[in-house]
Amino acid sequence: MAQQQSMFDKYGGFSVVSKIVLDLYERLLDDDDLGPFFDDVEFARIVDHQTKFVSSVMGGPASYTDVQIQKLHSHLPISDAHFDKLAVMLTQVLQDHGVEDEDAQEVVGAFAQRRGLVVND
Amino acid sequence: MSIEAINEQLLRAIGVGVALLDTSELKFRFFNDTFKEWFAEIETGQQLRDVFPDIDTAEVTRALQETGQFTSEASFRIRRRTMTIAMTINPALEGNQKVAVLVCQNISRIKELESMIDSYSMMVERNTREIKREKEQVEKLLLNMMPRSVYEEYKTFGVVTPRTYENVAVLCLDFSGFSATVEQQDAGVIVSELNDIYTAFDRIGDQFGCERIKTVGDLYITVAGMPDPSDRSIQSVSDAAVRFVRYLENRNKSHPVDWNCRIGLAAGSVIGSVVGVQKYIYDVFGPAVADAMRLREEAGAMEIVAAANFAERFGEAHETEAAGSGALADGTAVDIVRVLSGNGSLSH
Repeated sequence: MAQQQSMFDKYGGFSVVSKIVLDLYERLLDDDDLGPFFDDVEFARIVDHQTKFVSSVMGGPASYTDVQIQKLHSHLPISDAHFDKLAVMLTQVLQDHGVEDEDAQEVVGAFAQRRGLVVND
Repeated sequence: MSIEAINEQLLRAIGVGVALLDTSELKFRFFNDTFKEWFAEIETGQQLRDVFPDIDTAEVTRALQETGQFTSEASFRIRRRTMTIAMTINPALEGNQKVAVLVCQNISRIKELESMIDSYSMMVERNTREIKREKEQVEKLLLNMMPRSVYEEYKTFGVVTPRTYENVAVLCLDFSGFSATVEQQDAGVIVSELNDIYTAFDRIGDQFGCERIKTVGDLYITVAGMPDPSDRSIQSVSDAAVRFVRYLENRNKSHPVDWNCRIGLAAGSVIGSVVGVQKYIYDVFGPAVADAMRLREEAGAMEIVAAANFAERFGEAHETEAAGSGALADGTAVDIVRVLSGNGSLSH
């Protein structure tokens, strides 16, 4: 975790992470496979979710436990294909914001570890 | 291209949603491209409330007449996004017809940022609370290892300067037959018993102005007169010693494991310092500590032993009885006494 903690700081803390969050949010909502999951979700909740998500995978302050992640996704028919697509999207967003390949891979790796918690379809 | 034509082009292309309303019925007479982009279904002739169902049109009319301006916010969904606009309606004249200009600014991004800052600050606040809690635990732990004034010095400067303290009274205690007890009892029982006893000793010592320095197995060392000097340091450790024995006597009556302490008391100078770099510990050493350790060896079960000249210094506070002669740590022969815990009145 120590290395991830520094990654959040390395790329400029919240001021940079906030841009990654908003970019990911835009791309997610534009995507016809992943976007529909957010059709009926209030925007404040989506932003909250994205902020916590990006912050936690980059080793910043986070507040989701595995159990919470599981609970939050249990009602959604999320498939491996959805998960893979988000992994690609996340990698792309990170790279577009100047996160080095190696670090982006580490972030996506941390994300991929949670596959079992959210994929249920 | 005429000025009017340029103006119209600009109005159409600008990133702000602009529309003209008929003041009397609040019907749309014109809207620019941005407005059309946001409200795809809109057509001229529609009423304001067709596009903004939540708006109180009576309130719009009243505001335009009374204050000359109406402002509000409206949210709606476009492609999964919640779009929030800030709208302003101002009256204007077109020829001799009364119209109102509706200007809409897209403030969705501001709302998103506000929302993001909210969730981020909540995370940070929670983290801060956790860090604070951890810091308190660390502080508590360190305060267990060293006196507060030493801890303050350590916190401020990152180091503790070794210091010699004069006239410190030292109490060294161990238990007779400790090895046998350890062999007979379960490890968990020993630890929980020692924990219980040392906690009581700490409390008693604290009451009399003693500061526990360390425990090593069955060895318990507490001092008085440091880091803050005290002219009652000898009384303090003597009073504590007597109370320790009485406490154990009472405790032994109701507990299955018997604990019989041996106590040595001495006074003199000691050096106090934090020792170690990674696993540091606040320690005291010096003649007074060595003497107390040595005299403890002269003590039988539940006995308190001190040099006669030490006992003279606490006066009548506790009864003593001569215990022959003994030696201090450096080999000096001294008359020693047993401090009696039984009927002596405490000079508290």
